[in-house]
Amino acid sequence: MNTVFPILALLIFPSGLFVLAGGLVYEWADRKLIAQLQNRIGPRWFQPLADFVKLLAKEEIIPDGVNPGLFIGLPIVALAAALTASLYVPMAGLAPAFSFQGDLVVTLYLLSMMTICIGLAGANTNDRFSLVGATRALTQLFSYEAPFLLALLGPAILAGTWNIGQINAYSQTHLWMIVVQPVGFVVALVGLMGKLELPPFDAPEAETEIVSGALTEYSGRGLALFRIGRDVELLAGLTLISAFYLGGLSNPIFFVLKTGVLLLVTAGLQSLFARLRIDQTVGLWWRIGALLALAQLLVLIVLKTLGVSL
Amino acid sequence: MTLGAMLSDVLTSFFKKNSTRRYPFEKLPAPNRLRGKLFWDPAKCTGCQLCIKDCPSNAIELIVLDKVSKRFVLRYHVDRCTYCGQCVVNCRFKCLNMSSTDWELASTRKEPFTVYYGKDADVDALLAKATAPGGSATNEG
Amino acid sequence: MTEMQPSPHPEKFIVPIGPQHPALKEPGHFEFTVDGEIVTGASIRLGYVHRGIEKATEGQNWVQNLYLLERICGICSHIHALAYCLGVEKLANVTVPPRAQAIRILFAELERIHSHLLWLGVSAHEAGFDTLFMYSWRDRETVMELLEKLSGNRVNYSANLLGGVKFDVDQEQSDAIRKGLDFLEERTHHYMKVITTDETFLGRTRNVGILTNAQAEALGAVGPTARASGVPRDLRVESPYAAYDQYPVKLVLDHRGDLEAKFVVRINELLESYRLIREILETLPAGDLTVRVPRRLPEGEAISRVEAPRGELFYFLKSNGSDKPERIKVRTPSICNFSTIAAVVIGQNLADVPMILAGIDPCFSCNDRAVTIRRSTAQDEAWSWEDLRRYGNEYYR
Repeated sequence: MNTVFPILALLIFPSGLFVLAGGLVYEWADRKLIAQLQNRIGPRWFQPLADFVKLLAKEEIIPDGVNPGLFIGLPIVALAAALTASLYVPMAGLAPAFSFQGDLVVTLYLLSMMTICIGLAGANTNDRFSLVGATRALTQLFSYEAPFLLALLGPAILAGTWNIGQINAYSQTHLWMIVVQPVGFVVALVGLMGKLELPPFDAPEAETEIVSGALTEYSGRGLALFRIGRDVELLAGLTLISAFYLGGLSNPIFFVLKTGVLLLVTAGLQSLFARLRIDQTVGLWWRIGALLALAQLLVLIVLKTLGVSL
Repeated sequence: MTLGAMLSDVLTSFFKKNSTRRYPFEKLPAPNRLRGKLFWDPAKCTGCQLCIKDCPSNAIELIVLDKVSKRFVLRYHVDRCTYCGQCVVNCRFKCLNMSSTDWELASTRKEPFTVYYGKDADVDALLAKATAPGGSATNEG
Repeated sequence: MTEMQPSPHPEKFIVPIGPQHPALKEPGHFEFTVDGEIVTGASIRLGYVHRGIEKATEGQNWVQNLYLLERICGICSHIHALAYCLGVEKLANVTVPPRAQAIRILFAELERIHSHLLWLGVSAHEAGFDTLFMYSWRDRETVMELLEKLSGNRVNYSANLLGGVKFDVDQEQSDAIRKGLDFLEERTHHYMKVITTDETFLGRTRNVGILTNAQAEALGAVGPTARASGVPRDLRVESPYAAYDQYPVKLVLDHRGDLEAKFVVRINELLESYRLIREILETLPAGDLTVRVPRRLPEGEAISRVEAPRGELFYFLKSNGSDKPERIKVRTPSICNFSTIAAVVIGQNLADVPMILAGIDPCFSCNDRAVTIRRSTAQDEAWSWEDLRRYGNEYYR
């Protein structure tokens, strides 16, 4: 009996099929929301699923000069990391499948694995566009990672624990953290957009400049796995931020509502701005993002030391 | 310096219907001057062929069955036509006009793209000549 | 698996843009030598869309050529036809009635609106600002529906005839145009505000790709590209053609020369076009729509220059007395503006290159012409179709 639960958790819920299907649904919702904000109709409900199935059915072309093991293996590692990360977040409002002290750090690193895999995949190929895209992806990783971690640390400091499940439980019983630390919320949400390479932070994948960035040479199965990995990360990231800042996720209805609201805000932010150049992104993060996150943390540490209970 | 100058557009669009026209379920009526498929009225044609001389893409041909009794057949290549309307302008007797309702001309077969206009008897005679062994549907045949 | 050879210049990293690239709507090959993200060199190669139109005009009569030349470009189709008609009317020595000339420039200004709105959307898309792209193209539908109401077609209006125009403008259409223009004017003011105040967009356009006045003069830039650098070159003002002497146009200038200036110039031109169209509709002269032009034109040569949405368009027509032209030469504005890219792009970020390309409003299809290169040693040679095919097969082997 002890071995059945982990296998179910990996394959069906909360990782595996549930989060794959959920990722596709959230990608559709994101695209539909952006379309509505741009005064157009957007795709039908099965579009992301159709894209995924079509890509799986296509031939995977392995270009000359790449390391074939890395080429085929990197998308699998990226998807695996994203799926593993979803084991530790309160998916669908239920308690995380596995939790231990310090799983916040592990989850954040697993979520960054995708970007590292994209960077490696781009550096692997000989294509100019891939190299430029990989450089940009890794540059962006270095710039938003610190503020994002600091912003997620804020609720952890207040809750006094590194365990995501316990932080979730803390958020449910206390005042919503978005009220207590609004700056941290903004940094975390924008950091999530940077991690997922959503516009305006899509310089690593700028369609009009470098075709498709690091993923230019990918086709067929590899591309399908990268794309669905990104959707899974979207779902996991939204769950994490709404669990921390929007008063915790206690049941599936709240899960859908809160992550839906976050998705709406993200879609709004995506449609309002032009794409930032990579040097502007780095400048923005290191000058404004990191400072804001640090300031927020400072305020929190001072408050906690003074014993103010929130 | 504003951040998000299109905010007003984005917010209003969220609450109103989107601007995508759901063709083919919703079709706008075409304006009167739309230059759709060409139609020919054989009753007034005198066979001057001014329309054919100025067609930029050789889309119309006049096949003369009998010049004296004015029996003509007009062969119109719908796929070659550029819908410029020069033939309509050239005709002094207003035999030609471009439809403003018949503009969905796509087809999966080649047959709809060659249209024969004329009195029924004339067209039948021409096609009979074309399908007879050794015959062809041109002026020489 | 082939071995990877190290490149002979390891510090040179060449990023090719085109011939197939999402940034370009039409094929053209650009090679940018980059060092990290900064461009250090550029080379341009055009000619992918050469269709042999100038040669084809020699086999068709003057009326048929009107429709062939109209299709050199999709967005500047009316102005090509207009330039050709003006040249033919000069050769035939006829005077076109004033109502026809006024309607011709009405169409020309509507086309300018269409072209600038399209360009606004495409440039916004190159900057990653998809929202502006979608909204400006939604508004472009308004002007396309107006053009369809007037002429029957959204693109390639075929409004010109040798000697006049095909269509008249009646009261109902005039009212529809005014209503459409009111909507577009309000939206254009909004777009002006967006592009001059939105922080992220300004970060992509302000002080990017500066073309100085001296460079613009030296490289022979035309159209809004030159006017954004302070060069006061506009054919509608300098040598008015058709009815522009009765309906004068104000010259729109900006002195900064960067991408923002190009945006501002084009949007101001939109506002000027709205004003001009309203004026034309108010005071449209009465009269005929066409004048008769003979089928055979007398021998001679004629030149016509018009202001296309992209700059100065130049036509040279030569007649040998028959009903087919001897030679028609077209010089489109985009080919003058391409040389500015090589000068401007050095030292810019790679990320800004598509925006700079879009800033000159390139129309590759207009561009491609065959050029005769005479070498002093060799004979003039002409290649046949088989020679070209053989050369192409060996080149790409």
